[in-house]
Amino acid sequence: MLYKVLEKNGYRDFVKSLISGFEFIGPVKKDRAVHDFKVIKDFKELDTAYIRTTIPPAKKILFPPDEELVCYEIGENIDVKPVVESGEKILFAINAWDINGMNFLDRVFTTDFIDDNYKAKRDKLIVIGMDTEPAETNFSPSVGAEFATGGFDLYMHDIGDRYFIRVATARGDGLLKRYAVVKDAERNDFKEYDRYMDNYRGRFKLDVDIKSFYDDFEVIYDKKEFWENAAKDCYSCGSCNLVCPTCFCFNVKDDMELNLKKGEKTREWDSCMIPDYGLVAGGHNFRPTKENRLKQRYRCKLKTFKEKYDRYACVGCGRCIEACLANINIAEDINSVKKEVSA
Amino acid sequence: MSKPKVGIFGFTGCGGCQLEILNLEDQLLDLVAAIDLVHFTEAITEHSDNYDIALVEGAITTRHGVERIEKIGKIAKIIVAIGSCAVNGGLNCLKNLYGTAKAKELVYGDKKDWIDSIDVKPVDAYVKVDYYARGCPPNRFEIVDIIRSLIVGRKPEIPNYPVCVECKRNGNTCVFELGMTCLGPVTRAGCNSRCPNSGSGCDGCRGLIDEPNVNAQKDLLKKYGLTVEDMVDRFNLYNACREKNIAEKVTGGN
Ligand code: SF4
Ligand code: SF4
Repeated sequence: MLYKVLEKNGYRDFVKSLISGFEFIGPVKKDRAVHDFKVIKDFKELDTAYIRTTIPPAKKILFPPDEELVCYEIGENIDVKPVVESGEKILFAINAWDINGMNFLDRVFTTDFIDDNYKAKRDKLIVIGMDTEPAETNFSPSVGAEFATGGFDLYMHDIGDRYFIRVATARGDGLLKRYAVVKDAERNDFKEYDRYMDNYRGRFKLDVDIKSFYDDFEVIYDKKEFWENAAKDCYSCGSCNLVCPTCFCFNVKDDMELNLKKGEKTREWDSCMIPDYGLVAGGHNFRPTKENRLKQRYRCKLKTFKEKYDRYACVGCGRCIEACLANINIAEDINSVKKEVSA
Repeated sequence: MSKPKVGIFGFTGCGGCQLEILNLEDQLLDLVAAIDLVHFTEAITEHSDNYDIALVEGAITTRHGVERIEKIGKIAKIIVAIGSCAVNGGLNCLKNLYGTAKAKELVYGDKKDWIDSIDVKPVDAYVKVDYYARGCPPNRFEIVDIIRSLIVGRKPEIPNYPVCVECKRNGNTCVFELGMTCLGPVTRAGCNSRCPNSGSGCDGCRGLIDEPNVNAQKDLLKKYGLTVEDMVDRFNLYNACREKNIAEKVTGGN
């Protein structure tokens, strides 16, 4: 890692030249409730002071809601072609927990099986991180996701009159050399940066007892009442999964044209909270009730992947808490496990 | 089914569902090539009583309608109800809420006995319906998918999840957050969340999902400071025939 410093008065020119030189995706105010990551053509559209986005940026870009995987033509032979779309893009002002969410997706899509579509997009994505103000539903520090140690090219911390930049890749270094006037960070810059980080970490107010959830999960696993109560109001609407930066489940659909000669296979975001997720041929459903499904969702996020990859499949962004119309709250549920077990 | 004979029939409704089929434009020629179209009320003059699949639009609201649908039921091997009126009765059901006798009186005065008008019912109140292409208007691509699936012999994929799923796939801000009401959490998706996409709440035109959690709607209203009347009116717009006690559930019976 290299450490550089960019004076604030050089910021605008730096960003402007990135906007004109690349497909540049950054936060834009969408409406009174949220920001959205969009392609930006004009510096004025960019608004890095965002708190909430409905859909995590990386999920939209690397794992789009609808994605063509293969197309085929049926003639004398069946001709099947993979469809892999990617292009160089800059993702600007993504925060640490969303970078960590993307790093989780990296593991999922490249560990047991290399997902070419995901990987092609990821390799060409230039990531420039930036801290944002945590929402009150954010519990990233509890799951160790409020700081990103990798998964980006540059990370810019606003330490007052200048940016302290962590440079993680040669590609990122190249961008600075070409488009910005920076200098190497000095002792004083490091000191400011440490002070800044202490202060930043203090701005996260929500704390969850993730450790006791992990340890006690098996104890409450069969407590039917606990789960019935937790899932009572669930609409089985899947919103919690679909807005989550780490949820990766998808469903593959076959779209054949009416002439039955041509078609494509596409994948679309799926959700383990909707009833048909557990439905298999023959009509059996492995998770017929909403309490089965909620329990499984929490287990996947907070247990399964901790065991598999030694990291939670939750970065504490709080989006699922905000998205849930039934007020089902992962942070409260994590904390209530301890109460339940000690009661 | 290699080249099925298809009839497209209209009952009480606005005719918009048949229009949606005509709106297929790009796919229309492929569609008429893939099937043998023997009746299409809105588009062709030819007619034959020999068909395998009947696509039925509109609710059954007259005695004459009952006779016609029962005849279709005897001929067709497969019946597909298309659109909210055929599937759930649709807007027509507002007549039932008001009272059929009272409505006839109001509209036709002393000539009311000349008019053949009975309580509104959806198509499956009279004949077995095999597939439902829901919505007002229905999603024309879903109609195509049902026909294609019948031709290739597989089950059509009709979503059994709420509109919220499509809303999230489309990256919409939840309309509750924008201060409006929405039936999305209990309404069957398949419309590609078209109302929320354009900034208004879902009216439930595709009917309820299989296991709607209507009780939770009450808490939802409280959370967003909305009135129960809002929600009941919304439910009744498209679902009054089918979901009589939904309104009670939402209001807690009062
Ligand atoms: S967002 Fe809430 S209501 Fe919807 S499936 Fe998730 S927990 Fe259930
Ligand atoms: S489970 Fe909820 S809090 Fe955790 S990463 Fe997903 S959306 Fe964020």
